[in-house]
Amino acid sequence: MSDDSQQNATPASGQGGAIRFEKANIVYPNGVVGMKDLDLEIKPGEFVVIVGSSGAGKSTLLRAVNGLNQLTSGTISIDGREVPKSGKGLRELRKRVAMIFQDFRLVKRLSVMTNVLVGRLGHVSGLRSMLNWWPQSEKAIAIDALERVGIVEKAWVRASDLSGGQQQRVGIARALAQQPAIILADEPVASLDPVTTHQIMDDLVRINRDLGITTIVNLHFLDLAREYGQRIIGLRFGELVYDGDAKTVTDEDFRNIYGREVTEDDVLDDEVVAEG
Amino acid sequence: MNAAGNTTLPTKPPRNWWLWAIVLGFLTAMTVWSGYGIGFSANELVCNIAGGSRLLEESWPPDFSFLPRLIDPFMETVYIAIVGTVVGGILSIPVAVLAARNLSPDKVTWFLDRNFMNILRTLPDLFWAMLFATAVGFGPVAGALALSVFTVAVISKLWSESLESIDMGLPEAVRSAGGSWLQMIQFSAIPQAMQHYVSYALYAFELNIRASLVLGLVGAGGIGMILETQRANFEYERVTLIILAVLVAVLIIEQISETIRRRLT
Repeated sequence: MSDDSQQNATPASGQGGAIRFEKANIVYPNGVVGMKDLDLEIKPGEFVVIVGSSGAGKSTLLRAVNGLNQLTSGTISIDGREVPKSGKGLRELRKRVAMIFQDFRLVKRLSVMTNVLVGRLGHVSGLRSMLNWWPQSEKAIAIDALERVGIVEKAWVRASDLSGGQQQRVGIARALAQQPAIILADEPVASLDPVTTHQIMDDLVRINRDLGITTIVNLHFLDLAREYGQRIIGLRFGELVYDGDAKTVTDEDFRNIYGREVTEDDVLDDEVVAEG
Repeated sequence: MNAAGNTTLPTKPPRNWWLWAIVLGFLTAMTVWSGYGIGFSANELVCNIAGGSRLLEESWPPDFSFLPRLIDPFMETVYIAIVGTVVGGILSIPVAVLAARNLSPDKVTWFLDRNFMNILRTLPDLFWAMLFATAVGFGPVAGALALSVFTVAVISKLWSESLESIDMGLPEAVRSAGGSWLQMIQFSAIPQAMQHYVSYALYAFELNIRASLVLGLVGAGGIGMILETQRANFEYERVTLIILAVLVAVLIIEQISETIRRRLT
């Protein structure tokens, strides 16, 4: 039984998860440029951290991958297939692309279990979800996802009764329940304290390593980007200004990305600034 | 008709005394004119107060022996209100969701549903009672159907506004997980506005108890009908008792409902 569910939650090999932007542009109706001539390729299973000051287009980039933001021109494709603009095709794509949010976005009045099952909505018939009548196999996937983030004992607790860190874990479990090829994490630790921040980042890295899910994380703390990223992408005014290995990124690079001196506001742990 | 729901704060008028005098004069003129229109005269009022006091004398003391015969019609009133609230409460869910600007699938659906809702609300419950009475005959069924429509009008108007003020981040999360429109409504919009829904449903029930009394007067059954027959027979001591009993019962029901509502929010 537990072996079965283990296999359920582990995406099949050759799951894909490659993302490719080509000459992608996004201009918002108010004239703000969210993305400018972006050419970018992300390989399956990569762990990419996106940095940049606020308004640099980090969220815009993430939200373009699952079609929450539409490109003004250019293309974005996942595993060679262009992201559809609407309709059934977009729904099918979103089943494979999970998202984690800064403000968790859980249904606070409902149980943790129901919140995780939201990740399975694309996989069950409309009638079943309407009656809240979930097949045993779907529940097994949800429980397995909760086990992966270590809060399975909270399954029947109301989401509003959890701490911030636990709520974000439910958010991660909901993403995992989708059995996605790609996880998009939009500032996942921005509303958490430093200790919880490290736990959540560890969870994301572990899941990426164990399940091979392509993971893109938006962060605004530079030390976190250095510590957890494999590859760092820097954005400035919607433009790609840095793309390189997290091990070799220098303070000079960060100055370039931010267009100013890096201060202690840009790091989570003060000691790191002292070292640098 | 569709502009009826839009209330905007009017710009504060300048402190213009001439304007005030004109407004005051206009209101006085309107009142006097309307008074003439309905044949109102202070003289007649004073004469009739004597008739009124004779009526009061005949109405006292209340005939308490009549009380047991009130129980069945009163329960009928409650039944009418319950059926009206439950049927109307269920039907109001889709009406409210489609009338919420942020949830409605497209502009045309929103526009049609919004106007449908406004038409329901504009026509009074008595009109619906007459309509259903011609369809199914005078009686409690017509009353319950009329109250169902009335309930849809009340709940959907209030609740669509609650739905418009929910946090849209959650619906976005459900959509980005591959959820359909219906799933988004069920798993993100409705849970956020559930407390308001229960509160409005209880409020509609209070209104329905009162409305079913009035509908009884025109023959929709229940306690209103008993009241009307006793009044027509000049049994004023029984009328007094009915009014007192209704007053107490309605106060108790409203108190219970209000207590539940206050706990919810």
